Amino acid sequence: MALLLRTFARQGVCVSRSQYTVFYRHAAPMGTTAKEEMNKFWAKNAQLNRPMSPHITIYKWSVPMMMSITHRGTGVGLSGAISAVALAALVLPGSYPYYLDMIHSLYLGPCLIALAKFGIAFPVSFHTLNGVRHLYWDIGKGFKIPQVYKTGYTVIGLSILTSAALMFI
Amino acid sequence: MIIMAAVARLSCVCRRGIKPLLYQSTLLPRALVASHKYQDHPYMLTARIHASQALNASSGSKAASLHWTAERAVSVLLLAMGPVAYFNPGPFIDYSLAAALTLHGHWGLGQVLTDYVHGDTKIKIANAGLFLLSTVTFAGLCYFNYNDVGICKAVALLWSK
Repeated sequence: MALLLRTFARQGVCVSRSQYTVFYRHAAPMGTTAKEEMNKFWAKNAQLNRPMSPHITIYKWSVPMMMSITHRGTGVGLSGAISAVALAALVLPGSYPYYLDMIHSLYLGPCLIALAKFGIAFPVSFHTLNGVRHLYWDIGKGFKIPQVYKTGYTVIGLSILTSAALMFI
Repeated sequence: MIIMAAVARLSCVCRRGIKPLLYQSTLLPRALVASHKYQDHPYMLTARIHASQALNASSGSKAASLHWTAERAVSVLLLAMGPVAYFNPGPFIDYSLAAALTLHGHWGLGQVLTDYVHGDTKIKIANAGLFLLSTVTFAGLCYFNYNDVGICKAVALLWSK
């Protein structure tokens, strides 16, 4: 863990002998937690109306970065869709088959229906497969950069394939 | 290392004024010597650290760690529910899916809020809103399972078009 080192010339409580440096003989815990320090950082900078430094607008995008935000995006999107369906179930008067028949009667055409199926299947399969990749990381494996890219491309490829396959069912 | 030496130097200045600093020519070895001179004031060179949950011996809350594990457990459970829902549809899997999906979504959105929402009041409001959303979602899905066709049948019907 990174230790936030600050030196104060004042009487402190001797808690432990730090083994990381020869310069400090004692380590005294700060009164605040890291969470509080973070909140203080945000409060101070927001209060001073400081602009945020450019970050995502200037940093070079990479495949792992894009996959990560896509994982988050599909997660939020799917969660939103599920909440919308649940809310609709509570609010709308008719039953599910009723509304499905209503959509059927629009005669959307096979192309549009297939596209819609792909549009639903892709976020589900990408989020699921990338989720497996996350679990793989959680057991401590696959962190080397070539592995990250290999598993990443595998997830992308499999997602497209599964979505395409599901499109035709 | 240099930062530490510089900070040690600063403490030197704070305590004894600027003159001793001017007499110290090199950085690292001098700082070592300097610290030994403070035998008489052992409390002076004190590193202020964050006592994290793990290091704090008096109270240790494993809440965050358990939450992490629970998140992964629900994820694995949800993965397993997929094939079961396909091969064995029915009310049991419908309600299990409703619970697992809502919980996984609730915790996932919670992480998103933790990442992007800052400020004590804003965090409280956002989390309250999320809790409300998740409750309504679970209620709606259960209602759907009870009064309508249910999740598995709904997906099957949707795909049959």
